[in-house]
Amino acid sequence: MRPLTFRRLFFQCFILALILFIVVVVAMKFGAVPVSLYALGRDVLRFLLGQTSQISTDYGLILWNIRLPRILLAIIVGGSLSVAGTSFQALLRNPLADPYVLGVSSGASVGAILALIATPYLALPPAVSALLTPMGAFLGAAATIAAVYFLGRREGQIDSTTLLLGGVITASFLNAIIMFLLSTVTSGNTRGMAFWLMGDLSTSYQKSVFWFLGIGFFVATGAIYTTATDLNLLLAGEKEAMHLGVDVPRVRLVVYIAASFLTGLAVSVSGSIAYVGLIVPHIMRLIFGSDHRTLLPTAALGGAIALVFADTLARTVVAPTELAVGAVTAVVGAPLFIYLLRRGAS
Amino acid sequence: MTEFAIPRFRSAICIVIAAALCAAAPLRAQSASPTPPSSSPLFREVTDEAGRTVRIPQPVRRIVSLAPSLTETVYALGLQDRLVGDTDYCDYPPDAKTKTKVGGAINPSLEQIAALRPDLVLMTKSLNRLETVYSLDNLGISSYATDPHTVDEIISSSKKLADVLGAPEAGNLLAADIQHRLADLYHRIAALPPKRVLFAVWTEPLISVGKDTFIADAMRRAGAVSIVDSSQDWPQVNLEEVAHLQPDYLVFASSHSESVAPQLDALARLPGWRIIDAVRDRRYAVISDAVNRPAPRIVEAIEDLAKQLHPEAFAEKPEAGKEKPGKEIPQAQHQSFLHLPLDIHSSSPDAATRGGCVCAR
Amino acid sequence: MSSSSALARNFGEPARSSSDARLSVEQVSYAYSANPSQAPLFTLEATSFQAKPGEIVAILGPNASGKSTLLKLISGALAPLSGRILLNGFVIHSLTPRTRAQRIAVVQQESRLLFPAQAWEFVLQGRHAHSRTLRFESEDDVIIAKNALAQVGAADLSDRWMDQISGGEKQRVILARALAQQPLLLLLDEPTLHLDIAAQVDLLHSLRRLAAENRYTVVVVTHELNLAAEYADQVVLMQRGRCLRVGSPATIYQRELLEQVFQTPLTVALGSSGRPHVTVLSGT
Repeated sequence: MRPLTFRRLFFQCFILALILFIVVVVAMKFGAVPVSLYALGRDVLRFLLGQTSQISTDYGLILWNIRLPRILLAIIVGGSLSVAGTSFQALLRNPLADPYVLGVSSGASVGAILALIATPYLALPPAVSALLTPMGAFLGAAATIAAVYFLGRREGQIDSTTLLLGGVITASFLNAIIMFLLSTVTSGNTRGMAFWLMGDLSTSYQKSVFWFLGIGFFVATGAIYTTATDLNLLLAGEKEAMHLGVDVPRVRLVVYIAASFLTGLAVSVSGSIAYVGLIVPHIMRLIFGSDHRTLLPTAALGGAIALVFADTLARTVVAPTELAVGAVTAVVGAPLFIYLLRRGAS
Repeated sequence: MTEFAIPRFRSAICIVIAAALCAAAPLRAQSASPTPPSSSPLFREVTDEAGRTVRIPQPVRRIVSLAPSLTETVYALGLQDRLVGDTDYCDYPPDAKTKTKVGGAINPSLEQIAALRPDLVLMTKSLNRLETVYSLDNLGISSYATDPHTVDEIISSSKKLADVLGAPEAGNLLAADIQHRLADLYHRIAALPPKRVLFAVWTEPLISVGKDTFIADAMRRAGAVSIVDSSQDWPQVNLEEVAHLQPDYLVFASSHSESVAPQLDALARLPGWRIIDAVRDRRYAVISDAVNRPAPRIVEAIEDLAKQLHPEAFAEKPEAGKEKPGKEIPQAQHQSFLHLPLDIHSSSPDAATRGGCVCAR
Repeated sequence: MSSSSALARNFGEPARSSSDARLSVEQVSYAYSANPSQAPLFTLEATSFQAKPGEIVAILGPNASGKSTLLKLISGALAPLSGRILLNGFVIHSLTPRTRAQRIAVVQQESRLLFPAQAWEFVLQGRHAHSRTLRFESEDDVIIAKNALAQVGAADLSDRWMDQISGGEKQRVILARALAQQPLLLLLDEPTLHLDIAAQVDLLHSLRRLAAENRYTVVVVTHELNLAAEYADQVVLMQRGRCLRVGSPATIYQRELLEQVFQTPLTVALGSSGRPHVTVLSGT
């Protein structure tokens, strides 16, 4: 008998954080513009010492203004998607659940497309119009969250099966709308939409977006973490969970809103990156077990590692052309998942 | 005695600090970032064709082009020495292939663009993504977008571009040359009735061009009227509709003329296509894929198409020489009308929007 | 009706239940309809009984007699239409799920786990109601879980995986989890359904021992006449949503009453243990 202790949890998270750090360093080194580790280390030192003016200007702009923010975006998006995936798998009691199964990403895509169509007609200052697509996506996600919530209720509470059904139907309905919009709207802006739909981390965002993402991520993940033991019990069955002391309606509501919010955050800035939210929770479960007190933080870190790695591949494999991150996550993730599954089964 | 939750917050604090450090890096860097060395204190404000007000450093010494049509235009204006980077698909003139590549038009590498330290990045509203514009704005790199929808707009757009790049005389020369050729063409064919054509961008499914595109306008200048009357840019056309309208000719744009004939033979065997007279009788014209790019070279494709559709107007050789300053004329563009080996070759930079788009603009 | 005499026997005062009764079910009724506007599909009429610490109560009756509904009302999963259920003087349904789980443990027939778990993990889940949010299990929790497993004779199953043990072993682990909750009230719904005879006896024997040792109040829903007769201190006889009689096995196990309720010919005799024993007659 080895119950979970804080020490073991901290150790596991520390290992993963270390791996994340290494992956970040590797990601910083590789790119369309090569960077030597020595120069990188030297610049980090200078940066920490406050000597920012001496940072080599050749690639200072590239490293600190393009590559590092992109890596940070990958961390937050990867973490969000993994936590959301873990939560939905527990909430819906379904190992096939991923962050997009309830239609949040489809709603975000519709919002983004509408924003792209509307952009030419709105005379906005450039700083604001740059935010129009993410905001449109986020509003689309929020509207979908509300709609699916009302569809997924039975007797005034969220019911897992009804929620899943309502979400899947909403997703396919919204996907049909996306197809329709893409094939009939003539606005040139929608041309790049297909690329966005595949999942893309290449857009450079303003500071404010990063603050919003970071705070949103921690708040939502924190909210879900408070229900970690409840989720463990929920997996045994809803009636059982209630008899063991779980306030099932409240937990369902909190997890649903927080996980959907995380998905909306991620999709607003990066499109629908596939497989991360589905595979990372399973991998972490195979390695660390299904206690959500461990699973949630390790999934977050694992998702960050996975996406930083995938994004680095996406932007270096056929540089300077960039692949869609979602394609890389699928190609790399699926075989890995099969391997781990077979190992776990034996 | 239960273990307290305070230790758990310790790990949360560690993660927060780590994240804050990571977030602080770009934020501090942005506030302390040095200006790119090639910029000068002078700026010029222009409004580009997407309606944006852009600040362009003067003079413009380093240009990155994110669209093949703009690369061609830069060469046509004689400013290729200032071009430091272009896309993977910029292949005309051949020298453009030697420039540093920054990736695709839709998915260029921001890092590569930034590494070239451009004064100005050229884009088109129809080919490039809005996100790329915003990202370049966020990085402090100036960008200028064109958006021509007709042949006249292509001309005026090139003139404006020349002005923005600081070479207005080259722009005027280029515009005058093109106007002259178009005027000449007009005199030859204005009296003749236009031929009804179907411009096939892709055959399976059948995709043509809309009436508001520059391609449709170019065809009008060549004495051809597209039977497709759609306000979409790349409408998918019903074969039945085509059979009902029975165009006089099919028009294909291709860089390799050899294999259009066998492919058309294959099409002619299909029931849906056989009923179209132009397919059965092999009445088609093949022009260079210059027609797909809103660049000065489109005038050659227009002339070519006119010759193929209205050969009687070109009984004598045209007088004006083909060599014009600042413009290269590739040899393989003058093709006779009959039975040339041609191929419907698709070099599609992004097949993502439709089932295959032959336009490499 | 004998039920009224049973009530008269158990109710000392009209307003407050008698002081030594831990569980007090007072005129509880329930109605279930699929649609609010439709007539109820199922009704449970006013039912009352009481139970003391250390007592085993069997809710006995044929199918669709309302046994499970009554148990759900006692567990707090359903709210009664009228009447109330008190545990040590507190109305059960008005407690929060967490508080309820600290006092009432429900033993399921089986447990479908989505992801595999070991037995000790499973039993530790019973401590959830007692631990506060965001805390890890303490040493006390671990000791309690170990004891619970030992009390059901499943200490050796501690490291085994739940999907790799037999039905009987699983039942013991599920019971251990309920014990880990350190409840006052233990509720079981048809616990013997999937068990063989030896396991059935084993279970009820353990329940009697545990009820005596730890002073639990145990309420078991069953349709097994002889098991109820053998192990229950009190029997609540139900038929089609009505409580017909409450009392000791001796008063309940009357041949005419049982034949009417179970719709089958039978004989009742006194068993070797002094408890009634029912033999179902076959044929004719």
